Amino acid sequence: MSDTNGRNRGLVSRFAEHTTSRRQLLRGVGAAGAATAARRSLVATGVASAAISGATAGRAQDAVTLRGIFLPATWGTITQQVFAPEYTEQTGVEVVIDLIGRDAIHDKMGTLFVAQDPSYDLFNVDYNWVPEFARAGHLVPMDDVLSAPETAGDDFLPRALDVARWEGVLYGIPQTVHPHILWYRKDLFDEAGRTPPATMQEWRETVEFFQGKEFGGQQVYGWAAQAARGFGNVHTWLTFLYSFGGDAFNWETMEPALTTPEATEATAFWADMMKFTPPGINDYTYDEVTNDAASGRLATCLQWSWGAFAVDNPESSQTVGKWEFVEVPAGTASVPHLAEWVISVSNYSQQREEAIKFIQWLESPENDVRQALLGGGDPVRTSSYANPELTEATVEGNPDLKRFRRYPVTLEAMETTQPRPLFPEEERWETTVSVPLHAIQLGEMTVEEGLAKAQDDVNRMMMELGYY
Amino acid sequence: MSTEPQALPINRVGPVAQPGPVRGRRIGPYLVMLPALLFLLAISIAPLLYSLVVSLLRYNLMNPDRMGFAGLRNFQLILSSPDFWNSLLVTVEFVVIAVGLELVLGLGLALVLSRDVPGVGVFRSFILVPLALAPVVVGLLWRFMLNTESGILNWVISVLGFSRTDFLSNTTLALPIIALVDVWQWTPFMFLILLAAIQALPHEPFEAAAIDGASTRETILHIALPMLRYPILVAVLLRTIDAFRVYDLIFMMTRGGPVNATDTLSWSVYNNGFRNFNMGYAAALSWIILIIVTAVVTVFIRLLAGRAGETA
Repeated sequence: MSDTNGRNRGLVSRFAEHTTSRRQLLRGVGAAGAATAARRSLVATGVASAAISGATAGRAQDAVTLRGIFLPATWGTITQQVFAPEYTEQTGVEVVIDLIGRDAIHDKMGTLFVAQDPSYDLFNVDYNWVPEFARAGHLVPMDDVLSAPETAGDDFLPRALDVARWEGVLYGIPQTVHPHILWYRKDLFDEAGRTPPATMQEWRETVEFFQGKEFGGQQVYGWAAQAARGFGNVHTWLTFLYSFGGDAFNWETMEPALTTPEATEATAFWADMMKFTPPGINDYTYDEVTNDAASGRLATCLQWSWGAFAVDNPESSQTVGKWEFVEVPAGTASVPHLAEWVISVSNYSQQREEAIKFIQWLESPENDVRQALLGGGDPVRTSSYANPELTEATVEGNPDLKRFRRYPVTLEAMETTQPRPLFPEEERWETTVSVPLHAIQLGEMTVEEGLAKAQDDVNRMMMELGYY
Repeated sequence: MSTEPQALPINRVGPVAQPGPVRGRRIGPYLVMLPALLFLLAISIAPLLYSLVVSLLRYNLMNPDRMGFAGLRNFQLILSSPDFWNSLLVTVEFVVIAVGLELVLGLGLALVLSRDVPGVGVFRSFILVPLALAPVVVGLLWRFMLNTESGILNWVISVLGFSRTDFLSNTTLALPIIALVDVWQWTPFMFLILLAAIQALPHEPFEAAAIDGASTRETILHIALPMLRYPILVAVLLRTIDAFRVYDLIFMMTRGGPVNATDTLSWSVYNNGFRNFNMGYAAALSWIILIIVTAVVTVFIRLLAGRAGETA
């Protein structure tokens, strides 16, 4: 096992020094594979030393194969390409990870669970699905896992754990958090003599100032964020709603609260801000926002904290080192909307214990740091945010540029962030609310008309679902 | 030469040629059909009946505690929902635009390319390429091409001096654009059927028309089209049924948006069934779609039968 750890340290230190590109990642994995092959060759020829005896002993579990479905985002990719093979190497338990898109994961979980299909043991779960699948009894409760000494559960960010609970029971271990934070182009702000906005009003003035101006021959737009129908526009709007003191529901009666003065003010502000966005904004998902940020078309953007890696990648970005990060501007307060992915175990898995062991290992304090270094998502443990391996890491070719300079802001955001409304039909709620919000942003409805329709639609949905 | 139709010899000798007891003759055909019938029952009839049962249930996969008999409540909810009527309207608009244009273009191409001119074979093959592509790929390609900033269509528009247009986020344009993409992909299907039909037409009426001095327009309107009416009806019927189920293009290009401008019935079934896991509602909606499509098919078949009667 010692040589495996040595190889891992080599990989980690290499990634610690450089920004992780996909090519580099695969090269690293390739090197790891070559080392593994070399060692297997030694074993086969009987030249193996006592140093690998521990690993050989671990082969008692050779028959165990865990199957998981993860998101094809960076954290899912490194789980598949780095951590799963490494775990197999260390324990003999084979871990096969399939990567599929967000909606497809949700659909597949539903159909597999209903059939009580044990084909998959592990699932990367968007936290807003936890109530839906937990209520139906499809997920394994994980409070015992959290309290086990080897999990070091106290170290997890409290809000990261809170959103993985349903009716007080934990159903997933966080893998990555990414609250909304405000990205701003420091070079443009310096050139214009402006400071990053602290309030929504300041932000509006800022984006109005930048909208359409040219900097270095490049036309710049005030801001961008996800705005596509589906979940994109809802996720952006939620940050405005929460930051203006609104909420999606009256949680005592479960009646929608979409026509309150706070919700109206927040929505009006958001709709007004849409004037200072690039053409095509109404179709923007995460990718379009990131691409625009990397190409230098934006002065600010409301984006997930994790995505900042993309603008510091010299292979794909023209704005390396130009972006800085602050908390979401305050309406009445700064309350960013939280995005997070957890790992859950299927209640129909025939290898629950092995699946839980893998999660414990993957989300150990050491591997939380390693995931970040390898280019995965933002860490889920408090200690990781103070780990010098991360805080001191720099961007490739820029020894003065801190690779994870967003972390202090991310950590602050994790103190105030709010999740999507956590109830079993949240996904349906998003789809329902998304339509009138899209009508508002396209100017097909006024803010009041759109919110009234959203209120009616959600009311009808909740009545149909038997909430009242 | 006698004009009396000659019956096929097999019809005359059939009963005589079959030896064996009467019971065997009665059971024999059924035994031959049995495997196919059982297969059909298992993969088509049984699921259809099961979906009918599900449509009468309050049945959400993720809320098994509330499962129970709901009678016609799902149907009532659907028919009283503005979203359903919007989806129906969107679907009908899509079908009319897409199938209408496919017919006109497919027929036009078939008439032009049915003539023996140099290079027509290559062109015929080339025109069939879109048909070979998966609708998901088609949707993705067109989504890229229509992109406001990087799409080639908007680049052409900007080169011509017009302002770039956000086609897929425009509530007026999004549905016609998707219908046009469907036309791009499925016109070759219409063309293929109609080309085959044109090539199977007898030459004599056209020769007679030419001798009588009929113009090309008159020949097409009064000879070719009446003779092609059955193939046209069949092609339109097949495309109508298919267009009613449009899903892939919507999924790849707009996901029902902007707002609900491309929220077709099939998309609605997917949303309710696989996003919300509301199987009772989705099954009821599927039955409503089936009823609508069956009604349309019946009209077409009546048209076919009526025309056949007229001809007789």
